[in-house]
Amino acid sequence: MLTVGTLSPAALRARLAGPGLRLRTGRFTTCLRGDIPSLAAGIAQLYPDYPLLGEQDFADFHLQLQRPCNGRRWLRPQVDLLYDGRRVFRPLPLAQALPMFEWGLNWCVSSRAHRYLIVHAAVLERGGRALVMPAPPGSGKSTLTAALAGRGGWRLLSDELTLIDLDSGLVVPNPRPVSLKNQSIDVIRAYLPQAVLSPAVQDTQKGTVAHMRAPADSVARADECALPGWIVFPQYVAGAATSIEALPRATTFMELAGNSFNYSILGANGFHAMARLIEQVRGFRFRYSALDEALDALPRLDDFAA
Amino acid sequence: MTLAWRITPGQSLLHRCWDGQVVLYNDASGATHLLDQATLDFLHALRDGSVEPAELADPALQDLLRRLQFLYLVQPC
Amino acid sequence: MKRWTPCPDWMTLLPNLPLLLRALRAPEQLTTLPPAGWDLLLRQAESANLLATLHALLAERGLLDAILPAARAPLAWADVMAQRHRQATYWEIRLIGQVLEGLGLPLLLLKGAAYAAAGLPPAAGRLFSDIDVLVPEQQLPQVEAALMMAGWAGQQHDAYDQRYYREWMHELPPMQHVQRQTLIDVHHTILPRTAAQRPDPRLLRAAARPLAEPAGAAVLAPLDMVLHSATHLFADGEFDKGLRDLWDLHCLLGHFGATEAGFWDELPARARALQLQRFMYYGLRYSVALLGTPVPPATLAALAPDGPALPLRVLMDALFLRALLPHHASCRGRLAPLADFLLYVRGNWLRMPPWRLARHLFHKAFISPKKPRQAVA
Repeated sequence: MLTVGTLSPAALRARLAGPGLRLRTGRFTTCLRGDIPSLAAGIAQLYPDYPLLGEQDFADFHLQLQRPCNGRRWLRPQVDLLYDGRRVFRPLPLAQALPMFEWGLNWCVSSRAHRYLIVHAAVLERGGRALVMPAPPGSGKSTLTAALAGRGGWRLLSDELTLIDLDSGLVVPNPRPVSLKNQSIDVIRAYLPQAVLSPAVQDTQKGTVAHMRAPADSVARADECALPGWIVFPQYVAGAATSIEALPRATTFMELAGNSFNYSILGANGFHAMARLIEQVRGFRFRYSALDEALDALPRLDDFAA
Repeated sequence: MTLAWRITPGQSLLHRCWDGQVVLYNDASGATHLLDQATLDFLHALRDGSVEPAELADPALQDLLRRLQFLYLVQPC
Repeated sequence: MKRWTPCPDWMTLLPNLPLLLRALRAPEQLTTLPPAGWDLLLRQAESANLLATLHALLAERGLLDAILPAARAPLAWADVMAQRHRQATYWEIRLIGQVLEGLGLPLLLLKGAAYAAAGLPPAAGRLFSDIDVLVPEQQLPQVEAALMMAGWAGQQHDAYDQRYYREWMHELPPMQHVQRQTLIDVHHTILPRTAAQRPDPRLLRAAARPLAEPAGAAVLAPLDMVLHSATHLFADGEFDKGLRDLWDLHCLLGHFGATEAGFWDELPARARALQLQRFMYYGLRYSVALLGTPVPPATLAALAPDGPALPLRVLMDALFLRALLPHHASCRGRLAPLADFLLYVRGNWLRMPPWRLARHLFHKAFISPKKPRQAVA
């Protein structure tokens, strides 16, 4: 099977600058265009394992990153994100082209893919069961996710968008680079020396941002769904002992709905999907400060489910 | 004071109940409400016709009915 | 006596039509469309706000299982969104109805809200934005006050914009609900006060048809609904959503033509009674040309005298047959921006006399900062 990594750097740049690079990420296919060196380098570094499609193949999403033609091009270069030729967001500094693609593709999935209940949460799999971790920014979720995927023995399904199939109730993988912010970049560099990280980009709206390449195994097994196993709301508190607190089911329901992109769009089907999930799975609040302790405790969540 | 109430037509009272707490889907507005068991029991009783009109005169129930009416779950009939 | 002359073949010959139009006219041909074709079609459909409509059309014809499997997913996603829009619209209609009920006014719905409430074909696969209602002019102040009491607020408009709407246009400035962020447009007639045509809103209200559900709601009579649809489209100056509006008209014509006795015979006379015959002429002309609407030749012949003289008709064909195509990069020829501009000027011309138009355009260009309207989700 052809992957993005089989393209030479020149061929990759040519596709991006011309007809578009078509690639598959989990259930979705994207046509990406953009004649920007940092974007091409970032794709080459983070997406070598992803299936490569041909020019005549169907793509779900159509994204373009382009430099607006104005006087700012020389003094403060910018980049625009377009969906099929239509501008969707405000332009950003050119240096943020790669993060902009990541956020743009997340936006495509979370605002359109209404075959799934889409929760703003990281999700990993172990023994066929999925650990869903919703968390607001700053909760340490991404650091924890990268650690669990890189060293904890969990398969990464997604770091941002948990997809629950409305028909089957299974968690559908959406493996993509893990987005790391500020201190967590250095934490993960130290904790996972083998990890491949894109160059850090500063002064974004989320602070300093870098992306960690998803493990090859995650990408290769993107077709393997998982049964929902646990819902964990992580909270990093400096110096805190690791603690787990089981939550009432109704509370978990409402919190998960509040963390969902499209619960309110799915109507009664969304209610049914959420209810089925909550019936199968317990919710927990998880407080931690030491990554090693967290990695040790999470596989033993069933002990707390009683 | 209105003493004849019913579940608003079109509301299926789709819900789940866990440990005395209820999540209920509102078919009209698309919202999901967090209620207690007692309120759900009352809605079911109203639907099944097992609430006496005289009971509805209770000020606390009148207050509840007004709040449920605002959510379009019940209406005077 | 002018005869009906259809649009020139070279402009509307089937292979030249954009893929989206060919798909809407003959969806059964989509079973053999290759992946690259679907890629283009779905992009055109989305840009024209017709993606969920395409899904509804394929579902209605039993074709969903016969098309490219990869294309089914995005079509189904769009359908979910359309269902949610419909639910939200019904809900909004109920809440607005409660406000107007308090004033003893019927809830006379227009456009998308009317299609949704009455379950008419254009409602299938529709993404709704504002709710449009028609109220008597003398009750505008009470309606506005009642809406504000119930949580709708006028958006920040400068004094000029306020005057634009209240004195010259046919509607209150759009109001937005502070919590739900939904928009309502309150009309007192269907064309601006300053337009040359004066369709009498009393005639519209007198012929309105009540709905069973929600209680107190009503919609325009079929002839008037069709006339309003044509007027709304062809009296406007911007056509980026033109194909969507033309599709609505096409659906209404097909539906009422088949279900309302005497519909085709009465359409020309009603059009003239409301002074909307020119807009109806264009409506029929371009719906037939682009979407193949089955309009009886007798009706076309009856409205032929109400069309423009030959030179103007040639110009209008050239403008509308470009502007009504999907505003997608794949469908836009070199002359499309010029057609857009000329129709924009025409649209403003129709709304106000020349001296006022000049003042209005000056004000918009140099004084009013742009305030984008937000559509409801």
